[in-house]
Amino acid sequence: MTSYVRTEVYRNRRLPGDEGKLLPSICSLCNGGCGLLVRVNDAGYVEAVYGDTGNPYNQGKICPKPMEIVQTLYGAQRVDHPLKKVNGIFQRISWEEALSLVTEKYLEHWQTSGNSAIVGITSKIGGSHSKLALSIFSELTGLVTYGTGPICYDTEENVRKAMFGNGSASAPLADAVEAGILLIVGNNPAQTKAGQFHWVQEARYRGTKVVVIDPRYTETARQADRFLQIRPGTDGALGMALLHEVIAHGWYDASFVTERTNGFEKLAQAVTEFSPVRAEEMTGVPRRFIEELAWDLSTRKPGMLWEGRGVVCVNNAGNTLRVFEALMAILGNVGKPGAGIISHINGYGRAKGLVPGADVVKPERKRSAEALYSALENGEIKMLLIAGNPCANWPDCGRMQQAVSGLDFVVSHTLVLDDSARLADVVLPATHWLEEAGMQASVHRVMQWKEPVARPYAEAKSAGEIFRLLAAKMGLPVKYFPDSPETAWEWERTHNGDIAGITVERMRRTAGGVHYPCPESGEEAVRLFQNGVFSTPSEKVELVGSDVQELNYLDLLAAPGNRGLSRQEYPYLLSTVKVAAHYHTECQYSDWAVALEKPCVEIHPDTAANLSIREGDRVRIETPVGSLELPARLTWTVPRDCLFTQPYFTQTSPYGQVPANILFPAVTDPEGGNFVNKNIMCRISALEVAGT
Amino acid sequence: MMRVKQNSAPVGVRHAGWDVSRVGMLVDVSRCIGCNSCTVACRQENALQGSDGWLKVWRRERLGTQLIRYDYSQSCRHCADPQCLQACPTGAIAYGAGGVVRHHEEKCIGCQVCAMVCPYGGVKVMTNGKTGKCSLCAHRLAKGEEPACTAVCPTGARTFGEREALVREAGERLDALRRQGLRGRLEGNGDLEGKGGHKILFLML
Ligand code: SF4
Repeated sequence: MTSYVRTEVYRNRRLPGDEGKLLPSICSLCNGGCGLLVRVNDAGYVEAVYGDTGNPYNQGKICPKPMEIVQTLYGAQRVDHPLKKVNGIFQRISWEEALSLVTEKYLEHWQTSGNSAIVGITSKIGGSHSKLALSIFSELTGLVTYGTGPICYDTEENVRKAMFGNGSASAPLADAVEAGILLIVGNNPAQTKAGQFHWVQEARYRGTKVVVIDPRYTETARQADRFLQIRPGTDGALGMALLHEVIAHGWYDASFVTERTNGFEKLAQAVTEFSPVRAEEMTGVPRRFIEELAWDLSTRKPGMLWEGRGVVCVNNAGNTLRVFEALMAILGNVGKPGAGIISHINGYGRAKGLVPGADVVKPERKRSAEALYSALENGEIKMLLIAGNPCANWPDCGRMQQAVSGLDFVVSHTLVLDDSARLADVVLPATHWLEEAGMQASVHRVMQWKEPVARPYAEAKSAGEIFRLLAAKMGLPVKYFPDSPETAWEWERTHNGDIAGITVERMRRTAGGVHYPCPESGEEAVRLFQNGVFSTPSEKVELVGSDVQELNYLDLLAAPGNRGLSRQEYPYLLSTVKVAAHYHTECQYSDWAVALEKPCVEIHPDTAANLSIREGDRVRIETPVGSLELPARLTWTVPRDCLFTQPYFTQTSPYGQVPANILFPAVTDPEGGNFVNKNIMCRISALEVAGT
Repeated sequence: MMRVKQNSAPVGVRHAGWDVSRVGMLVDVSRCIGCNSCTVACRQENALQGSDGWLKVWRRERLGTQLIRYDYSQSCRHCADPQCLQACPTGAIAYGAGGVVRHHEEKCIGCQVCAMVCPYGGVKVMTNGKTGKCSLCAHRLAKGEEPACTAVCPTGARTFGEREALVREAGERLDALRRQGLRGRLEGNGDLEGKGGHKILFLML
């Protein structure tokens, strides 16, 4: 036997040394808000990322993503200069030319077709400075933009806003250590917030009972005291049975219900039919476990709830979220240490009055995210500003690609030449979050300030800077645009009473950041509603909305996306689920992430056997809107007849994989407006056998 | 501010300098969430690209009377009596300070015998045909830091510290598992002077 030794790959390793500086930053990926220490070499380039042991929330612990990010910062995939497409080929242009082109097109379409002929899809616009600049630009032009909301949290935010008057988390994750019970529904934080997952383990160690409700036996479920494996999309029925039990036995907090809530009778009425026996039939969760959970929730107080995308990005999300949050409310689990709702939604209200009324331009039209597709297709919309990757991250992404290709003018502000940027006419190089200062909020309801650790790569600019330059070119008043991240925050702080006490200075000197709301007086509120006053007009929790219909249980097969489809033709349910090594489409340019995670579809071995599918076989998955090929992974952790795949991979990345979103119709939950990326009917067939 | 008790064992952050002969690591598969933070931290720290790695996390599941699903974060165990060291024809594998089993790339001829004889899959084959394995981040220990993998592990599934204390910690964790009806076992808990002892202890399910 001879062996051939290629020396170049492994021998010439250069270890990250001790030279350069170790600079603090805050991870701006998943809203976990983990503290980082970044090794920057003498030339100013980022070399390595470590966890910050001085940050009280992660104490040096991080998930793999911020380390992978370093590999995506420099290299061939990063856009370094503004580009213009000429005869289908990108050519380097100057910033001056790029901005002139954008200005010319913007004004042309605004004048001829009105301000609603231009829209933005801006989920990756940047840090707090860029977000503020975008909102000021929108106020001055009437530009309507779509952020992360429709693909991530709109329903959750809307339901909570209707019930409590505030859509953000009501309690910090850190409160879990004081809870008697932590209910995790459709959520796998062991993968999606791995760097902060020790709070769940710590809570359990201190005696909090951790209960996980999920169709899959997830990494989180493995770390729980109780795992209830539920039929996909039936969480609402389980929640209603829990309400039924709690109400029927009088286990709710009667004084809280009378003094602090509206609509209890209607709520009780709506759940009368949902006995644990009926819920067992619907959900597959044995009756005694439903009863046990109801009893635990009633006796282990205070209690907390942490819902995830598994109950938010589904076609019956509105009802499901409402019943679980109502359950927490009637148990009195709000506004106390160890009580409330954990979420990565960290809205803190808008700065008001930065642009005086006389200069505000209203959008001529507003369209729902669902209606955006046809408006892009039928010529109503002429121009699109992209900061994100909707051609992979939005549902029915094949249709989105078609629609974007048909527009007159597309601008992409981006780190890499991704699926969406390739369809653009002008590409603008964006700064990375490690290159931008700003406020980063976290799942602990704190605001942390981060400084840039490296200078912007090549000619990259932040959206904060671009909108200011663009405004100047377009003849809009530049004075409304802050000229630095610090000024931006100062303006926001002084125009939003809820954060008036949080200065950049204060964030800088407070390890772990400052809790909000925090008014001028400087007193932080660790959690919302501590005084029992809610932000609704009635100042009470609205257990049922204005429309009691919303409490009606909506079967996932009768809900948007599945309604009208034949079960014979599409007998399986498809969902996308997350892994710890990826975040949106960003991490797929890291060769570590590529080596760790391969796209696959998870199938129960019994289902696979019925279809003659073996481990590793390529299969085709089809829905009415698209089809996709993937290798099969057989696992007992998923229910029969349900398929699970990952949403991250794209055709233009090293993966070269058709994005899973091609399979999902562009439909939204009827109540909350969230797109759906779970529980969609599909079919599957074997393509070829592995190893042949 | 609350203090999270992540690990009952001492967490080695900027220690004044380790007595390397007494340190150890506990890898607890029951706590592992398969996030691969350790894998990536190891590759970052040791400048390994792509699929080259000294640490690999394996997805495992076993269906018996109940479904056991765990992630096995596998790496060199730094045995007191290493088979790789005995098998290596060139002396590329040798003891380093404090009983750490070191692999020297420049002496490695890529025969891969070490990877074949290691009973724990601790030695990995690199893309250049040579082998590679965990160095216990000896360069970090020398600076008083803990290894890269334990420094980032968010769940205490990889914990670094005094080996003695880790053995006790493992005992507590095994008791806790037993109370949940799970049978675990500790591997490498033998005598470091004789046979069967490993610097890196593995709590397996
Ligand atoms: S858990 Fe979230 S915030 Fe923490 S390091 Fe990972 S991606 Fe960043």
